Amino acid sequence: MSLVSSIRTIAVWEMNRSMTTMGRNVLPLAMGLLVLLVLVTGFAAQSGVHMQDGIYRIGIDDPEVARVVAPDNRFTVELADGPTLWSNRFAYDVIVFSGEVYAADTDKGRAALTALRRDYEAYVSRVAASQPDLFAGYPLWIDLEYVKSEIDFLATQSGQQVGAPAATREPPLPSGPVEAVTAPSPAVPVSEDELRQHLAEAGNENPLSRYTGMISSGSATDGLRTPAELSPPLPYDALILVFVFIFPLYFTSQFFMMSVMNERVGRAGEALLSAPVRPSTVIIGKAIPYLAIMLLVSAAITAFIGAPLSILLPLIPVILFFLSAALIIGMAARSFKELSFVSIFFSTLATSYLFFPTVFANTHVISIISPLTLVVLEIQGEGFTAAEYVYSTALFFATSAVLFYAGTVNFREERLFSEKPLTSRLMDFIGGAIGRDYPHLSLFLLAIFTIPFVFMAQMMTLVLFFNIPMPLSLVLLTVSAAFIEEVAKSVGLYAMIKERPGFLTVKNLLLGAVAIGAGFLAGEKLLLFATLSQITESIFGSVLFLSLQVLWMPLLLHIAGVLITGSFLLVWGRRAYVPGLVAACMIHSLYNLHFLGGML
Amino acid sequence: MNARHVGLVAKKEIFGLSSEKTIVFAILLQVFIAMFSSFLMVGLTAMYDPEALEGYSTITYGVAYAGADSALIDEFEKRDDLILYRTGLGEALAALRERRVAAAVYVPDTPPDAEGPVAITLYLIQNDLQSSVINVKIKEVLQGYERELREVRADRMVSFPVGLNFPDAGGAESFYEFVYGLLLPLLVLLPAVISAALIIDLITEEYQRQTLETLLSTPVTFTEMVFGKILACWAIVPVQAGAWILLLGVNGIPVGNAVPILLHVSAAGLFLILLGAATALHYRERTSAQFVFSTALVVILLQVMSVPYNPLNLVVRLAVETAGPGHWLILLLVLGATALLAGAVAAYGRRVGEGLPALGR
Repeated sequence: MSLVSSIRTIAVWEMNRSMTTMGRNVLPLAMGLLVLLVLVTGFAAQSGVHMQDGIYRIGIDDPEVARVVAPDNRFTVELADGPTLWSNRFAYDVIVFSGEVYAADTDKGRAALTALRRDYEAYVSRVAASQPDLFAGYPLWIDLEYVKSEIDFLATQSGQQVGAPAATREPPLPSGPVEAVTAPSPAVPVSEDELRQHLAEAGNENPLSRYTGMISSGSATDGLRTPAELSPPLPYDALILVFVFIFPLYFTSQFFMMSVMNERVGRAGEALLSAPVRPSTVIIGKAIPYLAIMLLVSAAITAFIGAPLSILLPLIPVILFFLSAALIIGMAARSFKELSFVSIFFSTLATSYLFFPTVFANTHVISIISPLTLVVLEIQGEGFTAAEYVYSTALFFATSAVLFYAGTVNFREERLFSEKPLTSRLMDFIGGAIGRDYPHLSLFLLAIFTIPFVFMAQMMTLVLFFNIPMPLSLVLLTVSAAFIEEVAKSVGLYAMIKERPGFLTVKNLLLGAVAIGAGFLAGEKLLLFATLSQITESIFGSVLFLSLQVLWMPLLLHIAGVLITGSFLLVWGRRAYVPGLVAACMIHSLYNLHFLGGML
Repeated sequence: MNARHVGLVAKKEIFGLSSEKTIVFAILLQVFIAMFSSFLMVGLTAMYDPEALEGYSTITYGVAYAGADSALIDEFEKRDDLILYRTGLGEALAALRERRVAAAVYVPDTPPDAEGPVAITLYLIQNDLQSSVINVKIKEVLQGYERELREVRADRMVSFPVGLNFPDAGGAESFYEFVYGLLLPLLVLLPAVISAALIIDLITEEYQRQTLETLLSTPVTFTEMVFGKILACWAIVPVQAGAWILLLGVNGIPVGNAVPILLHVSAAGLFLILLGAATALHYRERTSAQFVFSTALVVILLQVMSVPYNPLNLVVRLAVETAGPGHWLILLLVLGATALLAGAVAAYGRRVGEGLPALGR
């Protein structure tokens, strides 16, 4: 049987099986639920979300003023005359009488005041929009133009105040040449009707229609907006994208995960394992139907929202990543509840990794670390370059490749049907990847393979910490980066000792440390050259990837880290793993902080 | 149903949860979600409105101004965090490109009382965090200018908004609405959702691992087993939700009416768990049950949230002390629905249990 035909056989078999278990009972109900979902979504869009209803109490003396807060469910309005209001003022968060607003001097009172202020702005806009003379209500229109600045990424990333602090009253003169610019025309290039329509649309904005609207029709008003509309891009688009694209992918990967798990329940997969095919063939065959479904679903969604099909490109590495992680989780979980929790936890992590940078899609270049940002950019019609594609997807491709490899190597009877706890199974998986004959070479390669995961985890911390004020965020980054690296480096050694307790001798520890240190450095170098040069040049990058400046210093550091953890293991056994890790992490952080001293 | 049997099964399941450390994952998951949503909120607000966090307010930004004189200049003068420089448009753009100023505006010489609009052009740096910050500040300035222009053109308006005088309370953004209106309901809801997913795993696992017969060879009946599992899943709901409320309190976020909140959460949690149990009993297979249940859960949550006075909203109202006694009525309604569902699950469980011996042997 040729490779292709055996893969096809397994794929067809997998399709048939999952269709028979799922299809007969689930599909009708799923269809019904889907219809219900559409109906409920429509209902929710109609009635709005009533989560924060009635959290503020407001007392008002004038029914006319009550119209200001009428559309806002957050306020419970009580109408009373001025003196009554004043004597009961402590029962309210805000009171309005004779046109004066008074707020309680509490957090809640201030929050209510902010809400009221926003409502008032919206109310003024409503009145303005109802004017027969549009340009009396909206006399000011703003054309927002973006200027490209070459140094933007590195400068803002390094935490400098770029261009901002204007210390003197002297006009800042440009040092470079000044191009002659023709002044923008004072006339508005669009008709009054179009502007009115624009205002009406902006008034009843529902996120979904905004999205599809943006794709189908270009901006009729040519980027013209009123001052009230002048706000920085909010992340709701990204959030909706996550729901629309990532959740179907997550669900489908769940089916794959379960299919892998089902092979293990009651040793059901024994027949498959004894078939004359290689584990990689089995895994590919089993994964292909789900890969196809995920691609089809994504394509269908893309077509549905009318976006260009090229947004599938950045989704492919995400799909592979979900599938590979599903494989490993399905192979490692001991019971269904463990499977649930690990997979939910993993998907939350992955989703936030994908989602969080996307929030900054229009504001910051760091957002490119998430492939979803490319999707957002593509939908906005800005597109992305090949370099950006490599930059944001390389980590996903690399990690999925490593995970698939680990899955293939361990797709064997004794691994699949063992009943050990999760962590020790994962250790087995790593140990299974370490060859018996060339342990040091294996450790070297393992260190290289951990690099994509280390980078991913560190990117996550970068995303998490970059909002915290400057010195604190650097310290947090330093410590967490050191910790992640030390865990990644020592994990191979730990797995090795677990598999073969006699392995750890002084000589082997030294050799292993050198192998891991060298492998780690080589991996860092390789991946960085390919992708992350932009980030490494900023100060945040320096924290994460400090080790790249001089070669022998980081090599020594990496080796020293493994040696410390290894020595703890050697002297006190496996129980000393965590203390050893902490010690190594402290040394590592001190080293990083020492080098950063010059930069802070 | 024998209460002691139910209790025994529940104890066994809770013991299994703690020995497998799955509960650790569940808690980690909740912590992570809380952390991320807070980071998102606090980080974004800090980014868009830096004055919300202290320490940023001393920074001043330069703005280049080109074009005709206008009242906009006076609006800029009122701000002490924006410094206006008057230059030509070419110089302004070159300075912006070199980041010597944070923004540039061009104002045409349209008179304030002209027939058409005043169309000004605002230049910002693309792909830049600072542009978002400056955007917020300039928006306020431009809104001031818009008010000015509206006053000039007031004779052309047919209706006027009522005037309100706001106190000068700094306008600092607080996270009050986020914490009480979003984070708190999310945190108390998560344990219920997690438990509902858990009951599906517990029940389908007995089927798929074929451990039912062993279990039923003991004096425990099928219905007792199902309700033991439900009890185990239910018991951890108020514990986790209560821990969240305590934790929030320790962090200086007092949550009012903790006991009624926990009652609401427990009632709604039991409803979801029973629903999960019913789905699991019907499908007896994890993939299908989880899929159908999670889709149904989305439908239910969406539907619930779009109804006024829903339990989640009541949790929020209770926490900020604005709930009237009406919430007890809603609680009774939810409890009634839950009791009906429990009866249905019990009946279904009995039917399944009676059919079992024929299935097994």
